[in-house]
Amino acid sequence: MVDTTTRFFEDLDRRGFEPLLVKTSGTLRFDLHEGARTTHWLLEIDRGDLRVRQEDGEADTVVGTEPRLFGALVDGEENAIAALLRGDMTVVGDLRLVLQIERVFPGPPDSRGPRHAFARRAA
Amino acid sequence: MAGNNTVRILDGNTFVVSEDTGDIEATPTEPTGLFSLDTRYLSKWVLTVDGERLNALSYDDLQYYEARFFLVPGQATHYVDAKLSVIRERVVGGSFRETVSVLNHDENAVDLEIRMDAGADFADLFQVKDEILNKKGELYAEAEPDRLRLGYRRGNFKRETIVSANQPARYDNRGVSWSIHLEPNEQWDVLIDVQTFAIGPGGRDLRIGLRAHGTERLALQHDLEEWIDRAPKVNSEHGRVAATYQRSLVDLAALRFSPLSLGGQTLPAAGLPWFMTMFGRDSILTCLQVLPFAPEMSKTTLRILGALQGTRFDDFRDEDPGRILHEMRYGETAAFEEQPHSPYYGSVDATPLFVVLLDEYERWSGDVALVKELERECRAALKWIDDYADLVGSGYIWYERRNTDTGLENQCWKDSWDSISYADGTLPPFPRASCEVQGYAYDAKMRAARLAREFWGDPAYADQLEREAAELKARFNRDWWVADGGFYALALDPEGRQCDVLSSNIGHLLWSGIVDDERAPQIAAHLVGPRLWSGWGVRTLAEGEVRYNPIGYHNGTIWPFDNSFVAWGLRRYGFAEEAATVANGILDAATYFDGRLPEAFGGYQRELTKFPVEYPTACSPQAWSTGAPLLLIRTMLGLEPHEGHLAVDPRLPVGMGRIEVLDIPGRWGRVDAFARGRLDLHNLAG
Repeated sequence: MVDTTTRFFEDLDRRGFEPLLVKTSGTLRFDLHEGARTTHWLLEIDRGDLRVRQEDGEADTVVGTEPRLFGALVDGEENAIAALLRGDMTVVGDLRLVLQIERVFPGPPDSRGPRHAFARRAA
Repeated sequence: MAGNNTVRILDGNTFVVSEDTGDIEATPTEPTGLFSLDTRYLSKWVLTVDGERLNALSYDDLQYYEARFFLVPGQATHYVDAKLSVIRERVVGGSFRETVSVLNHDENAVDLEIRMDAGADFADLFQVKDEILNKKGELYAEAEPDRLRLGYRRGNFKRETIVSANQPARYDNRGVSWSIHLEPNEQWDVLIDVQTFAIGPGGRDLRIGLRAHGTERLALQHDLEEWIDRAPKVNSEHGRVAATYQRSLVDLAALRFSPLSLGGQTLPAAGLPWFMTMFGRDSILTCLQVLPFAPEMSKTTLRILGALQGTRFDDFRDEDPGRILHEMRYGETAAFEEQPHSPYYGSVDATPLFVVLLDEYERWSGDVALVKELERECRAALKWIDDYADLVGSGYIWYERRNTDTGLENQCWKDSWDSISYADGTLPPFPRASCEVQGYAYDAKMRAARLAREFWGDPAYADQLEREAAELKARFNRDWWVADGGFYALALDPEGRQCDVLSSNIGHLLWSGIVDDERAPQIAAHLVGPRLWSGWGVRTLAEGEVRYNPIGYHNGTIWPFDNSFVAWGLRRYGFAEEAATVANGILDAATYFDGRLPEAFGGYQRELTKFPVEYPTACSPQAWSTGAPLLLIRTMLGLEPHEGHLAVDPRLPVGMGRIEVLDIPGRWGRVDAFARGRLDLHNLAG
């Protein structure tokens, strides 16, 4: 079974373009630390064009977390800005890139969005 | 919150609130301290000489980032015998630095024990008014040979304060001491440095990204001089308008705030000291107020709010796609999601106002590039208005929080619990829709139509927006008009019933242009009529309403920011004299506060109190109060961008004399505006 992190990056790579990132260019590396082992994901953003590689390359921004937390971030279970403020996620380099990629993460799975009164009456 | 004898200095969102001696001894009622990133890094900072506290002779808050305290040992009665004096000079800028100087005035040498008690409770800004009993993490203090380290740890959340000095000292877990010997007339100085750290795993500071990517920071003094230099000059015959303008300009400089994500660029924070952070509504309205004087703030604000625009549904943060944020915070409660400010999106006016600001900014600056850059964000904001904000399906913007624990109940500017009521005083159920927000939505659509037609090359979208705006205006004038009162209801309940009270919000409707022309005279008459007009300004809620209270936060007080938009609205519909009346009243009031308008003051009749009674507020200066005089000057002078040049159409009251505004920046380069008071306001509202 493919984990959520792999699915997230493979999906980004397959899409190849994210409209929310058209004003963003730069390279992010995600270092997912588990004990002595670190998994690397390298994401290149060029005005919304995306390219993902699973390798340890040079990057403008390096994000460090545990794999479990990162899986929860790309699942919407956890929030990246709160994780950053908590120190559970570290960032070296250009913080703005993180705040931009964070917008691509989904919301919490149990969030329903606006409760339209007419929909509630109909229900 | 903090009492009147407190001294506050700041730089960005690092600030110090202390007693008039310079000491800090935080309590829930006196929340003094050194704060940064919404965290209290010093809750105790007490200077003693031979174990004795010092007394203040005087203090100067020289600039917003520095202060000086003149002190003597002993009780008040002993002042005359003081053989010693102590001067504390402090600056906030990156870190907090304090120079302590001790002067011996005696003919004999003295040996003294100088001590600074230091302690930190690392309270979150949201907790400073509470008794902090059970912090979830662990506090620690470590004295080292050359420093004192105070810290707080909760999981990976780590905040540290490091105290060090440029003179050899003895550090212990509760502070730092020096034993000194002073000959007659000798002086001793020590420079104490207090650094604040927000440390992640691996020891890196959260703010390192900001420092690495920010431009080399100018010295604070140089920066302030440059800021004042760049702004237009205002001269006035009687001096008082010019003095108020000058005060506002300096306060506005102090309120500039550079968010972590912006690489050193600044936008206006909401207020000093407790609201030194990004607020969607406050930042946008302040930018609108100060556009003729400090246009660059608008560009930064639009960019950062666009970059943080909502993209998904998050019920905890009340986030929707396209929604503009309400408030961002950096403290422990945001980090651990005990508060939703990471960021929180619970406001319904920031989103339409975002579009309004972009259009107004282009009209002044001619910055077409930014209009194109933010096209996607504008379209998303307009989509939010139609798709996500219309909770009732009646074509209006409604609000009802989804975060029922820590979200905001009232998501309009009058955000206190009892601000929205029916005429009988009862509170309506949710969702609620407040009137001024519908005006903002109308204005946003009309302005976006211009942007779509002129810059986005999408005339079909422009037509659609104008059609929708026209429909909204017709619908609004049908559903919200209180026929027997001759005004618009403050709000609607979900059944469409009117909250039929007379409020200042109707002035915002004039500003937005949603008021039918034939009804505008009635609205103008109410605004300067006896129920709303106090003589100083327009009350938030009219006298005679059940909930009216001259010191009710949103139910009768007068808000200078509110009045500045009311005046702008009156001017828009051609009520120049009424606009001048409002401007005159508020600028008169400003002179009682040395040019620094408070957040709000009492709605008492002017003849009754003779001076404006300040509402006890948490926060001064406050950004949109600071911006109010600037918008009032614009309104009175009738400054309006018109086909690439600046139109000037002054309507000043007689008593205001001559006013000139020099070097107004815009697409025209820089131009001057001159005006002379000619309006006799005597026949208008008394």
